[in-house]
Amino acid sequence: MLPSGRELSNRQFAALLSLPVVLFLVLVMAYPMGYAVWLSLQEVSFFGGFRTEFVGVRNYVEVLYSEEFWRSVVITVRFVVLSVVFSITIGLGLALLLDRVTAWRAALSTVIILPWSVSLYGAGVMWQYLSRGQTGVATSALNRVMGRDSPETAIEYSLISSRHIVDLLALGNAWNLAPLVAFFLLASLQTIPSRLHDLATLDRLSAWDRFVHVTLPPLRYSLFVFTTITLILSMKLLDFIYVMSAGGPGDASATLSFRLFELAFRQSNYGYSAAMSFYLLILIVGCALALLLFWGRKLDDDR
Amino acid sequence: MNGSGRRVWIVLAVSVAILWTLLPIYWMLRIAFISPADAVAFPAPLFPANPHFAALHNIFGFPYTDAQERHFLPAGQAPQIINGLKNSLIVAGAVMVATLVIIVPLAYAYSRFDFKGKTALLASILFSVAVPPVSTLIPIYILFIKLGLTGTRSGLVLINLTITVPFVAWMLIGYFRNLPPVEPLARLDGYSRVGTLIHVVIPMARSGIAVAAIVSFLFAWNEFVFATQLVNGTPAATLPTAVSGFLFLQPQPGLLSASLLISIFPAALVAWFLQRHIGTMNIVDPVR
Repeated sequence: MLPSGRELSNRQFAALLSLPVVLFLVLVMAYPMGYAVWLSLQEVSFFGGFRTEFVGVRNYVEVLYSEEFWRSVVITVRFVVLSVVFSITIGLGLALLLDRVTAWRAALSTVIILPWSVSLYGAGVMWQYLSRGQTGVATSALNRVMGRDSPETAIEYSLISSRHIVDLLALGNAWNLAPLVAFFLLASLQTIPSRLHDLATLDRLSAWDRFVHVTLPPLRYSLFVFTTITLILSMKLLDFIYVMSAGGPGDASATLSFRLFELAFRQSNYGYSAAMSFYLLILIVGCALALLLFWGRKLDDDR
Repeated sequence: MNGSGRRVWIVLAVSVAILWTLLPIYWMLRIAFISPADAVAFPAPLFPANPHFAALHNIFGFPYTDAQERHFLPAGQAPQIINGLKNSLIVAGAVMVATLVIIVPLAYAYSRFDFKGKTALLASILFSVAVPPVSTLIPIYILFIKLGLTGTRSGLVLINLTITVPFVAWMLIGYFRNLPPVEPLARLDGYSRVGTLIHVVIPMARSGIAVAAIVSFLFAWNEFVFATQLVNGTPAATLPTAVSGFLFLQPQPGLLSASLLISIFPAALVAWFLQRHIGTMNIVDPVR
């Protein structure tokens, strides 16, 4: 190597390259997070200007005693579990399909990835119009099948009900997330040597056995990663719920994320909502770590 | 299974996949081509029998007269839609460039060098993916009011970076690791370190960088929550917030549908581009 005053050492060069991201993290992550911690320890009031009063951990305790918080936790868990299950199974199904299709593959791929590139607010509008009673697809298709085309005889059928709105939201969320899952699973699927499938045929494995013993094993790591990704994204999700159901009917679909938004921006309850947002953060990080410990570790051991 | 039996199953599965994917999009967008009379019909028509283009004209501020000599006046929000389209393009473009400027050097450093704090830095990037926007929204909102950044495009660019930077970092670090180590050769050719990055590595990584660019453009183009809080009702309002006027304030399904159609158009182009390149990205395994 030439001894040159202008050449940097590896370490200096790496530090220089990562400087922008460090600055960025401090500016837009560390500062707001620090501010949120501070806020969560204050009682904020707006009478006569913005005023704060230090109240210690009172906000945190208050959240734990609030009934709406626990209701939102239950709704969040249901929404997230369903979202992950739907996204992964639909994504896997789409990946297996794309792997088998030979004709019109580029066109089919474009169609399949489309929901992911549609914005979440757009998806919210779409799913809301789709599931409505009066103008929704269910009413329209039902009456078409039954041959009723006048308003007097038509039957109204709404997909939105407070019992199933969370399931419907999860389905819509999966509609948006599944393409992402599908494309990365497809990439892993294509690393399976076709010889393995030939051997499986020679061994007269049933379709199910072949799926479990040949197709699935190389996908395990991707499945783990995408379970984690869809879990985190679903827990954070706000736009889609805000547009599609706005937490309703009543508060049947008020996930923690949506509840926090309401508390902070509609009710300007800054200190309390900041405290609650840390419970959400703990839930997200906790679930991700649990997945890593119980599933990710096991994958590493199997290698 | 014999050949033709298999074919039938695949055709069936493809049809289900296409129906699942396109039905929500179709159901909304068909309203842009339905006459107002059909739009309020009960039960709603499955297909637009007589395509009708009033909404598509009205959102851009043009009047429309249909075959029955009915007149449709331009939408009152047309200026906001046009302005929103412009703002969205500027913001998304700026976010795309800024994300790459921040992330490409980092991803390169990660793939090639060991340095102090490497793991901690990656952990904090991944952690910032997990932070829900609702936690940072209020602090950022207060900060922006103090700095006078609410209602500005630069403020919105900054906010969008909090979403794109962690995600794109995640995408590109894995991608850069898979590139062959060309540094010794580049050095022989007389390139400096910075020269190697600019003249050798970046051209080699252009397909990964292109996907990253497009993904960051798309995130910013689609961003809605921060935009409604920070720029809604100001001259810096983006397309999603302008569109939401047709949804919440005064529901006008035809105009809503037509403006969603415009906002989806770039997304469709992106979809076509992404499906060709996304498989080459290594998002699953950025650390190894």
